[in-house]
Amino acid sequence: MADLFEDYPVGEPGTVWDEMFGAPGLPRADYEALHATLRPLAGSDLKVRADVLARAFLDQGITFAFGGVERPFPLDIVPRVIAAQQWRQVESGVIQRVRALEAFLEDVYGSGQVLDDGVVPRRIVVTSAHFHREAAGIAPANGVRIHVAGVDLVRDEQGAFRVLEDNVRIPSGVSYVMENRRAMAHVLPEVFAATRIRPVEDYPAMLLNALQASSGVDDPTVVVLTPGVHNSAYFEHALLAREMGVELVEGRDLVCTGNEVFMATTAGPQRVDVIYRRVDDDFLDPVHFRADSMLGCAGLLNAARVGRLTIANAVGNGVADDKLLYTYVPDLIRYYLNEAPILPNVDTYRLDDPEVRAYVLEHLDRLVVKPVDGSGGAGILIGSQASAEQLAAAAKRIQMDPRGWIAQREVRLSTVPTLVGDRLRPRHVDLRPFAVNDGTQVRVLAGGLTRVALPDGALVVNSSQGGGSKDTWVVSHYPVSPAPAQPSAPAVEHVPVPQPDPGPGVAAFSGQQEQQQQLREGRC
Amino acid sequence: MGWRMQIRHRTGVAYAGPVTSSYNEARMLPSPEPRQSVLHASVTVTPFARTHQYQDYWGTTVTSFDVHTPHSALEVLAESVVETSGPAPVRAGAPGWSDLAHPSTIDRWNEFLLETPRTALDEELTDLAATVKGSHRVPIEAARAVCDRLRDQISYVPGTTGVLTDAVQVWRQKKGVCQDISHLAIALMRAMGIPARYVSGYLHPKTNAPIGEETAGQSHAWIEWWSGEWRAFDPTNGVPVAERHVVVGRGRDYGDVPPLKGVFAGAAGTGQQVEVILTRLR
Amino acid sequence: MLSRIAESLYWIGRYVERAEDTARILDVHLHRMLQDPWTDEDLACRSLLAVMGAESTADLVGVTSVVERLGLDVTDSGSVLGALAAARENARSCRETVSAEMWECLNTTWLGLADARARIELRGVHPFFQWVRERCSVLAGLADATMSRDEGWLFLVLGRSVERVDMTARLLSTHTRAGGSIPSWLTLLRSCGAWENYLRTYRGSLSDRHAAEFLMLDRLFPRSVLAALATAESCLDDLEPGPGRVGVRTEAQRILGRARTDLAYRSADELLVGLPSTLASLQRSCSAVNEAISNRYFRQTAAVAWTAEAVA
Repeated sequence: MADLFEDYPVGEPGTVWDEMFGAPGLPRADYEALHATLRPLAGSDLKVRADVLARAFLDQGITFAFGGVERPFPLDIVPRVIAAQQWRQVESGVIQRVRALEAFLEDVYGSGQVLDDGVVPRRIVVTSAHFHREAAGIAPANGVRIHVAGVDLVRDEQGAFRVLEDNVRIPSGVSYVMENRRAMAHVLPEVFAATRIRPVEDYPAMLLNALQASSGVDDPTVVVLTPGVHNSAYFEHALLAREMGVELVEGRDLVCTGNEVFMATTAGPQRVDVIYRRVDDDFLDPVHFRADSMLGCAGLLNAARVGRLTIANAVGNGVADDKLLYTYVPDLIRYYLNEAPILPNVDTYRLDDPEVRAYVLEHLDRLVVKPVDGSGGAGILIGSQASAEQLAAAAKRIQMDPRGWIAQREVRLSTVPTLVGDRLRPRHVDLRPFAVNDGTQVRVLAGGLTRVALPDGALVVNSSQGGGSKDTWVVSHYPVSPAPAQPSAPAVEHVPVPQPDPGPGVAAFSGQQEQQQQLREGRC
Repeated sequence: MGWRMQIRHRTGVAYAGPVTSSYNEARMLPSPEPRQSVLHASVTVTPFARTHQYQDYWGTTVTSFDVHTPHSALEVLAESVVETSGPAPVRAGAPGWSDLAHPSTIDRWNEFLLETPRTALDEELTDLAATVKGSHRVPIEAARAVCDRLRDQISYVPGTTGVLTDAVQVWRQKKGVCQDISHLAIALMRAMGIPARYVSGYLHPKTNAPIGEETAGQSHAWIEWWSGEWRAFDPTNGVPVAERHVVVGRGRDYGDVPPLKGVFAGAAGTGQQVEVILTRLR
Repeated sequence: MLSRIAESLYWIGRYVERAEDTARILDVHLHRMLQDPWTDEDLACRSLLAVMGAESTADLVGVTSVVERLGLDVTDSGSVLGALAAARENARSCRETVSAEMWECLNTTWLGLADARARIELRGVHPFFQWVRERCSVLAGLADATMSRDEGWLFLVLGRSVERVDMTARLLSTHTRAGGSIPSWLTLLRSCGAWENYLRTYRGSLSDRHAAEFLMLDRLFPRSVLAALATAESCLDDLEPGPGRVGVRTEAQRILGRARTDLAYRSADELLVGLPSTLASLQRSCSAVNEAISNRYFRQTAAVAWTAEAVA
């Protein structure tokens, strides 16, 4: 029985940060318990449990459309552990980022002071495809525009967390966080017993609370707006609606008259106050955006404008997760909050500056190039892994549209042991914590979605590019002590439980039939 | 000396059959601002619809409304009374080309320096802009030169263009209406580095209009360019903007200030009608 | 509940019932046609098609084309395959409301239809139609066992009942079509799965009067027209808050109520005499009820297509 961790490669310090091992065979403190539990298992045992996991997901229909085909979203059986103290830094850094971006959005869709003060060049904002002038002047009831944020983080070669990008439009993936936890609790119960892990099942309650708080109405009606069953994230929309106990609607169920929104029910039109929309801005309101959209409802934006509707997340948030603006976020933190940024950015080059552009084009084979407007990992070029043709094509694209691209230093993302075949091998991961803003405070779900790049050496972790995920555990500070001995319960009288009624059964019939048979045979 | 004017702007849309639902936004009311005070402004819709007003990103007053009773025609009537001013005084000390090229100026007026689809240039126009810029000492003179040039070379001919016509097309055919001439002027100015913006509004057609006489007019477009301050000019008529002009709104081009825009469902549109009546009251 | 979901459930009820009843009708009639050497196949087939609302313009109509039109045409929701496909499509968009088992059942049925044509060629129509009937029964059983008796359930049963009235009326009208071979009451009873029940009820005597009575007026047999009308009515009563002081609240209840009482107080002789017109009137009532239900509960379920307009 070979060791699961046999030949597990641990890089030289400073080349890549492995989350479990600081040195070969020596797990870090927060991974000790997990290591101790996994070590005695045979690779085949673990594989069997992993298969059970995969099948459970398939049966429940938890899939993600990859290349047009529905497949189970691969959950790797080895969880990723984050120590409580480390998590505190992540949590406060994410909260800080959300607060700064909220202030920024209020500013650019309001007085524009941040632009007048020259903190961010105006052109970054006004040329962003997601800067929707139609949203100018809309003041949400409780001031919140980013009801849900997903801030993508990576750990660099020294193990420090850095922000890779902000997602404040329609961040997705929290359903995997919840489903992963449920599945793991079934499959690795002994590890759960040994470690105190902070729960994630309260997310829907947290979200519902924030959505209700965002309306000016007492006891508001909240709905989840989905593009429909054909959308790749439909599973998540349905899950959230179900767990929050609110209606899941499509655009065609809604109608807006006189700036009030109603949904069509069998009892007639019912007023809607808050829409948690999973439909992009462009498709949300045919009056102001795409008139050919069948996914939205005409009039939503003006209903939000007069305050009779809350759209969560607000329209126009995309200007804040523009990758070019990302490079200014540390400045925004200083400008709005008067604080030093807790989580640093990944070193990024702005390509609209000619000098910087020249440097980048010269060193393209050592950098990562990303489209400003991309999502799902599409269009990312990793210089060190690209062919000469790909590099040349990227250079051309940059020269044609410098504002459309940024370049980043290639970070060797941290690695976590991942089941490959029947051994554990290091694979690169990132982290997407989810933050919910209810107007009084920003709360971050403990853990978040860890995405793992499954092919060996791959650095692109998005699910749409063939990645998988891991359950993410934020370990509580306090160790689990053995449960205190229960005072012995009073002896319970043994009452015999009756069996279910047997009924006449088969025997009653066959006995008599056999008798008849014998009698008949008896005659000649 | 400004005028007091009453404006009645009626827009009608006809449909092939009953339209069940329509959502619209009208930009048909004068804008309250330092050189123009609005004494009365109202929008009435037939069939009846409650209206809601707000100011959009560019500061234009927008009247939004939706109709849900079946109708085969929609009429929007905007009525207003406004007091205008004479031509704005020209301040001395206009900035030079280097002032306009200052990064803070470029940043501040970024939106009015960028090309839009209607104000994009081709090679010929780019060369033209470069020539005009090269032969004028200060931007303000170059801007006037562009306007004079267009007045000479572009004939005012209605019916040859539409709401999507761009500057290049107008230059090629040397024909257009106020909207097109304005777009072309704006395009050339931006290419020279002069921030320029599109103004939508009304023009009383008579220079010495008698008081109380109802005159048929139209929606009109002109431009403003920035040279230390925003200066208005009417390139179609070749005159400074004065008491006969009423401002409704400003933007990067026509697309930011359409008088009536919306969506409807249930039948196809068959035609539109616009009527503007201006009456000088004082 | 959302109108769109209610409408989907209503139509799932209708489509599945349609598929089952069509399969029953085809199974029994085709079997009889093949057995009886005196049948004019063309006339009998035309007659069958006509009753199902599918006229044919071909010169000669045979069993194959009937099976094609009413059994295998996946684009026509009036055929067995078409109805099941439509049911599945509706279930897909309201997956959150139908139980996972119901969805799986519809999906599995759908997957099993893929090689329908081949199976018919190999083993004939009877096993195929029997399989369809079984699958529809499984679904009805699952609905029964796994759906809460809430609005969703009521709409499902309402759809099923309205369709049952319509299909039974169509079936019975095959008996009344003038000319050509008339299917016997025995055939009709078998089509409804009523033969054994009938025998028990009337102790073996087959007469026109009794058969008509049983299929149309019997309160206890669930596939009788009267029973289906009563079920539909009771669904609507449950959906509405309360009758108020006078009459009923909805047009649909009115139409159903009148159709039911019209039948309930007829004697069997009266019934036989005016059978063709009664059946035609029942089918018209079904259409009227369908429209009334749609108007009341499914007001807004389709997406609006907008046209953009700008005036200079």
